[in-house]
This record gives sequence, structure tokens and C-alpha cells, in this order.
Amino acid sequence: MRQLLFIARKEIKVALREKLVVSLGIVTLLLLGVALYAGYVSYQQQKEIITETQAEKRKEWLNQGDKHPHIAAHYGTFIFKPKTVLSLFDFGLDAYTGTSVYLEAHYQHGFMFRPAQDHTSMIRFGELSAALVLQVLAPLLIIFLAFGAFTRERESGTLKLLMSQGISFRLLTWGKIVAYSIMLAIVLLPIVVGIFILSFSGIRQEVIPDIAFRAVLLVLIYGVYLFLFISFSVWISLRSATGRNALLTLLTGWMFFAVLMPKTVTNFSESLYSLPSMREFKARIQEDKVNGLDGKTPRSVRRARLEKEYLEKYQVDSVEQLPFNFEGVSMQAGEEHGNKVYDHHLHKLREIFHQQNRLRSIASLFNPFLAVQHLSMALSGTDMYTFIHFEKAVEHYRRELVRKMNGDMAENSRYGEFYGYKAQRDLWQEIDDFAYQTPTAAELLQLYHLEILSLLMWTALVFVLLNYSNRKMKPLHG
Amino acid sequence: MDRTTKTLIHYEWKSFIRNRFQLLMLAAAFAFGIYAIYYGQSEINMQRQTIEAVTALEKKEFFEYKTSFQEELSTLEAEQTHDIASRPAYAWFRHGYHAILPPHDYASLAIGQRDLFRYYYRLTGMSLHYQLFENELANPVNLMTGNFDLSFILIYLFPLLIIAFCYSLFSAERENGTLALLQIQSVTIRKIILVRLAFYFTVVTGLALLISSIGLLTSGNPLAEQNRLPAVAWITGVLAYCIFWFALMFLIVSFRKNSSFNAIVAAGCWLVFLIVVPALLNVLVTTKFPLSSTTLAGLMRRTSLENENDEEEAREVIMEFLEHKPKLAGSDSLLNNDLLSKAYAAFTSLKDLNSKEEVDSYTAQVIRRNEWSSRFYWLSPAVNMQNLHAQMVKTDLRTFLRFHEALANFHGDITDFYFSRLFWNKPILREDYSHLPVFEMPEAQDRWGAIWTAIGKIMLMAVFVYLTGYIKMK
Repeated sequence: MRQLLFIARKEIKVALREKLVVSLGIVTLLLLGVALYAGYVSYQQQKEIITETQAEKRKEWLNQGDKHPHIAAHYGTFIFKPKTVLSLFDFGLDAYTGTSVYLEAHYQHGFMFRPAQDHTSMIRFGELSAALVLQVLAPLLIIFLAFGAFTRERESGTLKLLMSQGISFRLLTWGKIVAYSIMLAIVLLPIVVGIFILSFSGIRQEVIPDIAFRAVLLVLIYGVYLFLFISFSVWISLRSATGRNALLTLLTGWMFFAVLMPKTVTNFSESLYSLPSMREFKARIQEDKVNGLDGKTPRSVRRARLEKEYLEKYQVDSVEQLPFNFEGVSMQAGEEHGNKVYDHHLHKLREIFHQQNRLRSIASLFNPFLAVQHLSMALSGTDMYTFIHFEKAVEHYRRELVRKMNGDMAENSRYGEFYGYKAQRDLWQEIDDFAYQTPTAAELLQLYHLEILSLLMWTALVFVLLNYSNRKMKPLHG
Repeated sequence: MDRTTKTLIHYEWKSFIRNRFQLLMLAAAFAFGIYAIYYGQSEINMQRQTIEAVTALEKKEFFEYKTSFQEELSTLEAEQTHDIASRPAYAWFRHGYHAILPPHDYASLAIGQRDLFRYYYRLTGMSLHYQLFENELANPVNLMTGNFDLSFILIYLFPLLIIAFCYSLFSAERENGTLALLQIQSVTIRKIILVRLAFYFTVVTGLALLISSIGLLTSGNPLAEQNRLPAVAWITGVLAYCIFWFALMFLIVSFRKNSSFNAIVAAGCWLVFLIVVPALLNVLVTTKFPLSSTTLAGLMRRTSLENENDEEEAREVIMEFLEHKPKLAGSDSLLNNDLLSKAYAAFTSLKDLNSKEEVDSYTAQVIRRNEWSSRFYWLSPAVNMQNLHAQMVKTDLRTFLRFHEALANFHGDITDFYFSRLFWNKPILREDYSHLPVFEMPEAQDRWGAIWTAIGKIMLMAVFVYLTGYIKMK
């Protein structure tokens, strides 16, 4: 153990003498600071705007005056996607999922306004977030730090000296890994502390229920990820004849994993499972709304069926004799039919999204970068599943709102008198304000088992490789 | 070409073809390039198919209206169709016109923002803003990851290729012990390096030009009028970008450091230009010019008259609208028939008028923030180049902003067409169908000035970097 620490200490000393590496470390740290600060500012800005506008829309809903409930259901309201506090760490999909949605009767509107639409094509290079620094830049720093771990000893002839002193490869390898880990930990300490302060301090986060747990997991996952890079870099260095070779191999690997492969896989998934256009999607829904999902029960048939059912149930001859307004019942039935059709098509659409994203998940087994990217977004609440969960919550809210409006109309108005009845503020108040909570991290992670498996597999692999090479390595090779 | 140069090239060629790894890299770059072209074309073709489908729908719709003038109206349905075709009170909110931004032939080479914005809209005379904000379906994960198009290959991968070929041009000689041999030759080291650099420049840039030519030839006819300039600009851009990276490598090599140092510095430069600068600029733009679309969202709300049975309210709305459009006033029977339809038309138009300012100021903000960031594009030739590609093939933000402007004008034409008939109580005639409103998007003024200037800037930077290296190397 003492020997191990001794090796680590020597390694740190050498690294600190390399001006290039030290300055890169400082740059990384600075970028991390800027990323976190900018993330925080933008989080605050968006949060303020969203809270304010949401309150305003709530007020509009409550003060819409006396009107017929169905008109109120069309007047509708708006929901704005809340920013999670962890999104200041990983922006995830926030620039590409819409931010606001209009809720009204009969129609499911999609989310409007993707923030990336307010940027030039430069946005496609990505935004600087702490996650980007950790996922892309930190590995590069590690490569620069560690590519010469063994090759330097080999090239300067000190490897043989070390061996002759009875130091094993195993000891040397782990000494170096420990050294780099310590250095990286020091560079990253501020952010870890920052995240913990943020998560455990009083900041009340209504959107994410288990923020502290997520913070711990984030630190753990990035820890594993960076450890993987350190170990692989040391291993490659161990196996390479010259520093130049080690560096080139590592850089090529980094390039392939972090830049090339994610794009290739994603675009491939797009060609493999293609999406319908919005026009097609809507046309299909419209057709099924008119003709029924089976294509054989048009609206008139459905209405007649409903009428007959109610006349029989209440033993009356005409809808006017019903003790409530049949229009309200009919409208709600139409609404429910529309929902059924919409759900059917939306499900198919989400299935395509799911298939596309699943290909990335499978690819993550071969690419720890993808695994960490997915897990990081998930834990920050900026991933696809959280977004879909949010979409579902919004749609549920819309349906409840419309149902209440139609129910009130059936109960309180008379058949054929559309403008006669007006509901008042107390009905509007019956609709609770929209409140959203993300799924818990535990629930989310179940959807990401491939990614977790990937990290475990890679960790196991790196241990096996190191172990194997440490045993097989002969100092005279160098 | 003197003899020493020839000898140098000859031996460089020998070592080049013996290096399997280098050849493999070139082959891989070529393969990726071809795939990128294929991918871009398939994406854009899908958009073309959608455009065809919506155009066919529109044709069908209007064909039905037109034929309803000749047919005998035997069924209830035929009568309804004819009503929609001939009575402006129905037609103004039922007739749908498609405003389409067809892709440029070379959009497939640089998809730019085309996957993010809508490129077709169906517009009726109803509130413009109600029809404007819906998004095209897209997987956010894929949007975030971005497109694997030729532009990506050239901007991301080729610099890496250049780095891989050049980082050890000098240092490898020293590390292999051949430097001393070179130094005793009559040629200067600088010349040797420059000839070798020129050799790899020819190889790598040649490959980039080859892939680009394949892309340009298979995506459209480069000689067609609308393609000529983009094709020339694309090729020039590729040249400028490659020249810049080679010049940079020359500068790095000129410091005569060891291979690892060169590789680290070169990779660092790549990182700065392709990740750090754009990512930093993006996040700065977002925080410095915060934009909130929440105000626009409100314009989506479907509102209508307080009480559709209240004729007094209907009249008031119509009169308020006519103050803005005095040309529509003056008919004797203005308030006698189709009152509700007129009131609704007036109502939705007023809504657009009232929200115009909000929408315009939002667009102005978008332009302002991006003007600010474009001032820093020179910091990274990669950002500059990517933006240029999008501009050349019209997949840039500006094109979409102009499209939106044209949409608003088109919507104005549509409402003029129907409202002039609605408020003057004139039916739509068979003849009117031969001069329906048509969508037009005016060409951008002086697009090319900016493009050539930006390419010039990359060249200038390359020259500057090269000269620094030249002096340094001695």
C-alpha cells in the first residue's frame, strides 16, 4: 500500500511538471465553471418566465367570465414545460422538445416552440453544459494525462529500473490509476460539491421528487465513466510501444465513441424506422375520427347508437325528455372516441420513437459514452422518457378539464339551448392548477437497464484486461 | 518542379502507399462520405414526398370546387361542396392553400435547420398565428444528435484526417533518427516539410473534393442556374477549409516539438474549434439574450365572439375591423347577410393585427441574438464553414425567417381574395379559380456577398497562420 501511494505521488509530481497538461486541466475547470454558471442563469431565467406565465394563464382561466362550459373548454389553457433544477447540469433534450402546449377540447395540440429554432445552425454543435464537459472534454484531458503512463517509462528506460527493484506491473498500473483518479477528482471536486450543495440545501424542487438521490447517482455514474477512461488509457499505454502510438489509438477511440458512433447510430435508426410527416399523422387521425378505428362506424352511426342506449336506459322517447342535456353526453362521447383514436395513433408514433431510441440503447452496450449520456439525461430529468411522462400528464389534465366541462354542461343545461346556460367561476375553480412531478429515479432507471449493464460490463472488462496484461507483460518488451 | 521536389514526392508516395493504416483511414473517410450523401438525400427525398402529397391534396380540393360549378347539384353533398366553392362566407375559412419551401437541390448535403423547421403550411383565411406554430413530428433525441450529412463529414472528420497525416511530419524524423540525415542534405528542412505537406494536401483535399463532387453531381445538376453558384461556393469552401487546417498543422509542426506534443496541440485545436467555441457561444447566446416563446403561445388560443347570437356585438367587431380595411367597407348590404361569417372573419383578422407586434418583436429578438453570435463566427473556421454550408443550400435560419415573412404576406393575399368578396357580397365565380392567390417567396438580396466574404475570411486566416509558421520554421 505504501508503495502504491509512493508511485501515485511520483506520478502526480511528474504530471504537474507538464505545463501543457496543467493548463488543459485549468481550461477544463474554467469551462466547467462557465457551463455551470450559464446553466444556472438560464435555469433561473426560464423558471421565472414559466412560473410567471403559468400563473398568468391560470388567472386568465379563472377570470374568463361567465360562459358556456364547452366554450370554456375551447378557450382552454396553456401548459409550459417546467425546467428541472438538474437541467442546469445537463440540458439534455431541452432545446429540442417543445416548451408550451395549448389545451382545448377535441384537439390534441403538439408541443410548440423548440428553443433550438431560435438559433442558427450553430446550435447543432451543442450547448456548453457541465455534462458536455464531463462526457466529452474530461476524457480527452485523461487521455492527454495518461497516454504516456507506461510509454514514457519505457522510452526513458526507467521501466526496467522499476522492475529490477521488484515492483510488479500490477502495483505500477494501479499506482498510476490512483494518481490520475486523484488528480481528476481534485479538478472535479468543486462541481461535485456544487451539485451536493444544490441538492441538499433548501432549494425546494417541486418537479423532481428525489433530487438528492439523483445527485448521488450522477456523481457515481460519472465517476465510473471517468474511471473507465483512466483505466483504458493506462492499459493502452501499457500495451503500446511508443507514446505516439498510445496517443493516436486513444484519440481515435475517443473520436469514434464520442463523435462518430452516436451520430451514425442515430441516423441509422432514423432510416430504419421512419416517422410519418405531421400531415400524414393528422390525416390518419382525422379519418379514423370520422369513420371509426375499424373504418366502418361513422359519426352518425355512433351517435344513433348512443342515443338509443340512453333512450332505453331512461325509458323515454326522445332526447329532449332526458333529465339532463344529451348534447353534453354526446359531446363527451365524441371526445372519448377522439381520445381513443388519438391514443391509438400516438401510441404507434411513440413506438417508432422508442424503436429509434432503443437502437441507441443497444449501441450503448458497445459505447460507454452513449450509456452515460442517456443516464445523465435521465437523472437530470431532460431525457425522452421524462418528456413523454410529462406529455402524458398534460394530456391527462386536458381530458379531465374537458370531461368536467362536458359533465357540467350535461347536468346544468337543456337540450338545444347552447347559449342559454353560462357557468361561472366556481366551475373554473374546480379545475386544479396543473402540477407536475417527474417519475422517480428508481422508476426511470428501470428503463435504462441496458445502459447500466453497459457500464458494469465495461468496468468488468477493464479489470479483466488490466489483470491479464499485468500478468503477461514482460519488462524486456520495451 | 525541380528535381529535388520530384524526388521528395516520389519517396513520400512510396511511404504513403506502404502505410496500410493511412490508406484505411482514407477509405473509411470515403465510405463515410458516401453514406452521408446517401443519408442526406434520403432525408430530403422524404421531405419532397411529403411536399408532393400535400400538393396533390390541395389540387384535389380545388379540383372539386371547380367541377362543382359544372355539375348538376343532385346530392346534398354536391350542393355543400358548391356552397363552399362559391360562397365566400364558407370559402374563406375552408379553402386551404399550401405554402411550401421546397428544398434546394443541395439541401441534402447540408441539412442545417431543415429538420427542425416546418417547410410546408396549409393556410386558410383564419388567424395566421393559429396556423403557424405547430411543429413537424420529430424525435428530439435525433434532433439533438444532429444529421450525418456531407457537411458534417467535411467539417468534423477531414480536420482529423489532416491532423493524423501531418502531426509528425517533422518530429517523426527526429524520433526515427532520420533527421540528421535530412539536415545534411542541400535542401532546407522547411522545403522538405512544405513539399510533404503539399503532397498530403493534394491527397486529402483531393478526397474531399472527390466526395463533394459526387455529392454535387448526384444531388442535382451543378450546371442548372440555381445550383451553379452553390456548387462553386461549396468547392471553394472545401478548399479554403482544408487549406486552413493544413496551414494550422504547418504552424504546429514549425515549433519542432515532439509528436505527442503536436498531437495534443492539434487535437486541442480541433476541440476548441469544433466543440468549445460553438458550445460556449451557444450557451452565451441563450443566457445573454433570453427568449421566451411563452408570450407567443398565447396566440394559439381559439377565441371567438362572446355570444354568437348577439348581432350588436357582431356589428361592432365588423366595424372595428373595417376601420383598418376601409376598402372592404361600402357595400349596401354589408350588415344584412352572412353577418356571423363576416364577424368571425373580422374577429380573427383583428386578432392577427393585434398580435402582429408581438410576433414581430419576437422575430427581431431572434435576429438580434444571432447577429450577435455571428460576430464571433470567425473565432472558429468550423462554425463559419457550417454556417456557410447552410447558407449556400438555403437550410439556414435566415431562409426560414424569410419563409415566415412570405407566409404572412401570402396569408394577407388569401384574406384579401376572400374578404373582398365576402364583405362586398360577391360570390366566387368559376373564373376566379384561374387567379387564386399563389405563394411566392422572394429571393434573398445579396446572399452571396456575405458568403464570399466569409470564405475569404477563412482563407485570410489560413494565410496568416501559414505565414506565421513559415517565419517560425525558417
